[in-house]
Amino acid sequence: MTVNGELALPRRGVLALALGSTALVAAACAPGGSGGSAPAPTNSEPVSTDAASLGEVTLTVWDQNTDTGINDAQTELNAQFMAAYPNITINRVSRSFADLKTTLKLALSGDDAPDVVQANQGYPDMGAFVEAGLLLPVDDWAEAYGWTERYPEDLLSLNTFSADGKTWREGNLYGVSQTGEIVGLYYDKQQLSQAGLSAPVTFQDFEAALPVLQAAGLQPMQYGDADKSPGIHLFGATLSAIAGEEKAGDLVSGKGGAWTDPAPLEAATKLSQWAAQRYLPEGHNGVSKAQAVTNFSQGQGAFLFQGTWQQAILQQAMGDRVGFVALSGVDDKPETLGGVGLAWAITSKTANANAAAAYIEFITNAAASQVLVDTGNLPVVLPEGYTAPEGTLAGDIVGQWREVSTGGGLVPYLDYATPTFYDTLTAGVQQLTGGQFTPEQFTESLQEDYADFLETR
Amino acid sequence: MRISRFEAGVNYTLLGVFAIFALTPLVGVLLTALTPVAEARSGFGLPSTLALGNFGEAWQRGHFGDYMLNSVAVTLGVVALTIVLSVLAGYAFATMRFPGRTVLFYVMLLGLMLPVEAFVIPLYYDLRGVGLTNTYWALLLPQTAQSLAFGVFWMRNYFLSFPTSVLEAGRVDGATDRALLWRVLVPSAGPAMMTMGLLVGMWTWNEFLLPLIMISGEGLRTAPLGLAFFQGQHATEQSLLAAAATIVALPIVVVYLFLQRRFIAGMLGGAVKG
Amino acid sequence: MSPAPTPSRAAERTGARPVPAAVPSRPRRQWKAFLYLAPALVVLTAFILVPLAQGAWYSLYDWNGLTAGSWVGAQNYVDIVTDRDLRAAFGHALVLILFFAVLPVTVALFLTAVMSRAPRLRGLGFFRVVLFLPQVIASVVVATSWLAIYAPDGLLNQLLRAVGLDLVTRAWLGDFSTALPAVGFVGTWVGTGLCLVLFLSGVGQIDPELFEAARLDGAGLLREFFSITLPQLRGQITVALTLTVVAALKSFDLVYVTTRGGPGDSTTVPSYLAYERAFQTNQVGSACAIGLSLAVVIVLVTVLISKLQPRES
Repeated sequence: MTVNGELALPRRGVLALALGSTALVAAACAPGGSGGSAPAPTNSEPVSTDAASLGEVTLTVWDQNTDTGINDAQTELNAQFMAAYPNITINRVSRSFADLKTTLKLALSGDDAPDVVQANQGYPDMGAFVEAGLLLPVDDWAEAYGWTERYPEDLLSLNTFSADGKTWREGNLYGVSQTGEIVGLYYDKQQLSQAGLSAPVTFQDFEAALPVLQAAGLQPMQYGDADKSPGIHLFGATLSAIAGEEKAGDLVSGKGGAWTDPAPLEAATKLSQWAAQRYLPEGHNGVSKAQAVTNFSQGQGAFLFQGTWQQAILQQAMGDRVGFVALSGVDDKPETLGGVGLAWAITSKTANANAAAAYIEFITNAAASQVLVDTGNLPVVLPEGYTAPEGTLAGDIVGQWREVSTGGGLVPYLDYATPTFYDTLTAGVQQLTGGQFTPEQFTESLQEDYADFLETR
Repeated sequence: MRISRFEAGVNYTLLGVFAIFALTPLVGVLLTALTPVAEARSGFGLPSTLALGNFGEAWQRGHFGDYMLNSVAVTLGVVALTIVLSVLAGYAFATMRFPGRTVLFYVMLLGLMLPVEAFVIPLYYDLRGVGLTNTYWALLLPQTAQSLAFGVFWMRNYFLSFPTSVLEAGRVDGATDRALLWRVLVPSAGPAMMTMGLLVGMWTWNEFLLPLIMISGEGLRTAPLGLAFFQGQHATEQSLLAAAATIVALPIVVVYLFLQRRFIAGMLGGAVKG
Repeated sequence: MSPAPTPSRAAERTGARPVPAAVPSRPRRQWKAFLYLAPALVVLTAFILVPLAQGAWYSLYDWNGLTAGSWVGAQNYVDIVTDRDLRAAFGHALVLILFFAVLPVTVALFLTAVMSRAPRLRGLGFFRVVLFLPQVIASVVVATSWLAIYAPDGLLNQLLRAVGLDLVTRAWLGDFSTALPAVGFVGTWVGTGLCLVLFLSGVGQIDPELFEAARLDGAGLLREFFSITLPQLRGQITVALTLTVVAALKSFDLVYVTTRGGPGDSTTVPSYLAYERAFQTNQVGSACAIGLSLAVVIVLVTVLISKLQPRES
């Protein structure tokens, strides 16, 4: 900082600056002290399901439905809703998943908070919002609209929290979801038959196929973890199969177990072996997930652990060549990572809770499910009698989703476990498959984060 | 002294190599933007057909029709306000003697060095407290505050470089400080103000984090935020992302190509004759 | 990554002396100066200084940004020194300074030595425009373009394969040994043109007779560089270092777009962690402590660099 050779801040100046800021600071109080930790909000208005009689209402809705297929569905549903209820105007604010996460916390605590938002499940987001009293329990509307009957109980429980936000998967309901999703194994039928293999059903089948594929000169798995989230999918799907739904689920929701237990350690060991054996492609930590999907569709890799959300892209690129399976794990039933899309929740600052609930009902009900299916999305509850053609990718996915979501095979995303778990886990998986962490170091790093958080609850 | 042909050859070669180095990544973005979505890959390659339609689709999906207008409004506002405030403050620093002059000048310069991350969260709560988030002011005022460090520094230096004799003559004639500033200094400061305005405009146009945080609605979001529409939760569309990136960068690049001397002079902070 | 501008020698070059001398006949204190300063000071105070002070206050709390925070004193700062991840991030910032600042300045100085008479070349204006171009592109766009270059089938690997260096190819941003240098090299790309333009213009201002005299004395390129070019460019070098070092320390956008701190934690930097903790992991107090510490580092480094600045001659 030099101007005309005058060097450095004069000492007196620094002192004055320091004193000035101290004075300012002393006048302040603990951050968040006044606004936060209010008593748990409840709905004050009587519940009404007659949206047409609510008068002129504008609902501000924040969603993260920016990917092509789901964006089409949301646009269509909003238009239909406004046509059905001309007295309600939807002011849609859509932003990418990452931007939503960055801004939602700030927006919710303001006076001009949106009315309806999509909140991510688990402790980092929904738990923190509930603890701060920013979301309205929707149990009354759940009863009025029949949401409790619509959804399988363990799916609904993903959107529940104790009123203090400290315990997940019990207590009040804070929203419902539009879409369902599971992470499963996409396989290239052509390559499997080339190596003399049939489609895997169990985790053992899958593991046994890896060396066979390699011996046949094929790349066993495709995988790209530059975006960091695919690491959760790979480790999560593996852990689900090895630990089983119950143990893995308890671990994520903080009900019991440790990440250093034998099952997580075994899953970590698998990942590290796959990397060492080159079953995972070289340089995978530098390949984006979009690129990995493209590579897989072009025949580089017989297997790909990915979510059902890749259906449209892979269907289009591979046609009948691709299949999808949720591998059967230790409990002899399909068990894998997955859940429901972000919960549509009502904010506690809204003045139009009834209209908000009516909107949520409208975009999640049976008619909405049909719109979702028509635009290539997977609704939580499939339209009655809906079947996708057998033997196609859509057929596989619909079938597997039904089986997993109703058969108690769903393990929630692992990053829901603690507010910092996403960072710890994704960095850890990259280190594990990159040979920087032993499986023990990896599970210990997870456990450290986990134990710290459990202590604060 | 003439330059030998050999020396000139060496110089041109070196300059050429570095020019290619500077251009390659940008050419890459352009190529990707022109590649049909289905062909998109990360490597360099000529697209089979020029998919000019990518720009149209990116424009529409990225909401650039609105966002660009917002960016223009915010950029012009920040530039105008920065120029006015910087001229006033720069004049005081350059020609007047007052207690705390040195300290205040250094405090002004802080804006150059502070990373946005150091103050954006409290700033958000403050602005929200007075109902300013989600308004034009939330974009205008904080970015003006950030730009002032450079603006004040720049105008002060310009006024300092003004021939002292002219000012003295004015004072002898009985001109007030105010008259000197508006009748003598400002009319001659056009080029200096323009250079400063261009740089401040460029930084404002490219700013990403502040608009993302301060604007929660759709109405006032700025162009760089539009890029996020092509990186959803599960999919990234390379061609469209590149087209959108081109759309965001293009206005500044065009202005730069026309007024490059002023840009370069400004960035070099007076080390070049501007 | 638009680098912040920097204090420079403009006034010195034009011969103006420090302020009091500019108006020698008016030594008394002019209180009305504050009228002129007031608008700028008010804006600066309200939108930067006050939030900064509040940030300092938040940094003494364990606060998730939603519910009431709890006082932890200096713990967030202690963490910066003791926490492995945080220490690593500050270490990475040092490496980035090497790539953003030291490398471009060195390369540009070398080129300037070779081309000390280039300022008189025809067509230099064209090269100046092109070399400077990276400075005006939004950092998000710059990062996006380099992402494609470093991809496994990207341009860099294409080039390496073309010259038979298949063994060297890799996923540059996904490899623990190359990710940080790869991110840093983007900074080299942004900074080299700036430094070169800056130094060439500086050389252009050196009296040609100095070079003539040196050559008549039989000075080689090396001596010419060390005895004439380098000392005469001290001002430009200061400016270049300030711009590039500040850019290196503010490299949030670049890391956010290219690696998100990965693989593992190998490319985390303080500004990225501050963002991450403030907005993603509900650790607002810690984020403020990191942001403030980073600000202090930037101020200190800038002051240090300014020591290079030639004093009033």
